[in-house]
Amino acid sequence: MSVGSEQTGEERGDEILVAEYVLGVLSASEHARVARMIADSSELQQLERFWQQRLSDLDEGFEAVPAPSAAWQGIETRLFQQRTQASAGASFWDSLGFWRGLATGTAAVAVVAFGLLVLQPRTLEPEPAGTQLVASLTAEGSDVSYYALYDGETGTLRLTGLSGEPVAERDFELWVIHEGEPAVSLGVIPVSQRLSVELPAEDQAKVGDGTVFAVTLEPLGGAPEGVATGPIVAAGGVTRI
Amino acid sequence: MATTAQDLADFMARTALGDRAAFAALYQNTNAKLFGVTLRILKDRGEAEEALQEIFVKVWQRADRYRPDVASPISWLVAIARNHCLDKLRARRPDADGMDDALEVPDDEPTPEQAAINAGERNKIDNCLDQLETDKAEAVRSAYLDGYAYQELADRFGVPINTMRTWLRRSLMKLKDCLTS
Repeated sequence: MSVGSEQTGEERGDEILVAEYVLGVLSASEHARVARMIADSSELQQLERFWQQRLSDLDEGFEAVPAPSAAWQGIETRLFQQRTQASAGASFWDSLGFWRGLATGTAAVAVVAFGLLVLQPRTLEPEPAGTQLVASLTAEGSDVSYYALYDGETGTLRLTGLSGEPVAERDFELWVIHEGEPAVSLGVIPVSQRLSVELPAEDQAKVGDGTVFAVTLEPLGGAPEGVATGPIVAAGGVTRI
Repeated sequence: MATTAQDLADFMARTALGDRAAFAALYQNTNAKLFGVTLRILKDRGEAEEALQEIFVKVWQRADRYRPDVASPISWLVAIARNHCLDKLRARRPDADGMDDALEVPDDEPTPEQAAINAGERNKIDNCLDQLETDKAEAVRSAYLDGYAYQELADRFGVPINTMRTWLRRSLMKLKDCLTS
């Protein structure tokens, strides 16, 4: 039956332990022991992912039950320690409307354009000191996508790479473009990773209506003359709402 | 408008960047599923709500660890919820389970090579569970969905705990072979 098997009984035993671990049937001490085993072995980590992925197909068996309405307020209080009071409900629905609008908008974007939206953290502070800009960076025909959030208070643009593969012998370069001005390089950025970029002070002052962030494909190390040479893989302007 | 997996992925990504409106949208779209998880496993409404809050605190804090290439957003969230509840249950169970830890793993089934994990046709777990005896499949489902540990499973199915462990281990091995065949 087991012709061709390379596994020893012990390996098979470890496999089953990992399955029991993911299933959650082990006692506390055994669970902790297996967790340490997994932490030390990339093979067992792979196996852990296997079981998590396969067993998650059983998630359909969890019947949805709307949480009590007080739960959300409890979460906000725990996390942000700020008054949420009666405004929490209203701002919550505002933000939902906002995201629904966003979803509709992104369906209609052109090939290289993306929506860059201004959003205020209404749920929390009545008058936020800095503006938050949120951007979805995608382009049709490209599997590269980023999300970006610009914090006007710190002048920092944070990017999360969502998907995409690096292009051989090429780098992605991030640019900020102020209305009527040439693009300013913010540097070469990695694919599928998080990073923070602090904008130069003079650019921070200019970010607002009309600002465009863009990503282009450039030679390794970035555009040689500080001027974009490659195709734009994503770009879009700020929209205030 | 229906929320798609892509919407949830968007909310996750923005949550990882500290965007509270996205976090609110994520909560709005997933609280019922996760409350369903905590309620089913903890079986107490008050505890389930408490756990739900703790879970979303974790989600906010760990959103940047979400890897879209490893799990869908909802699978990732359910896993966090489930593990959170199981941790709670484990903490209050007696630790000594009285089982023979050196229990032999039966060796009467084909054992696929490691490469098979990542290759070939993958069967849905439901199909593979269908190939097990009914009560053994039910024990696997019950462990996953209700968070029962060996003693509770043994009590429910009216068998000694070591028998239950043998059942489950055999079942898991057969499942693995089925899922990777």
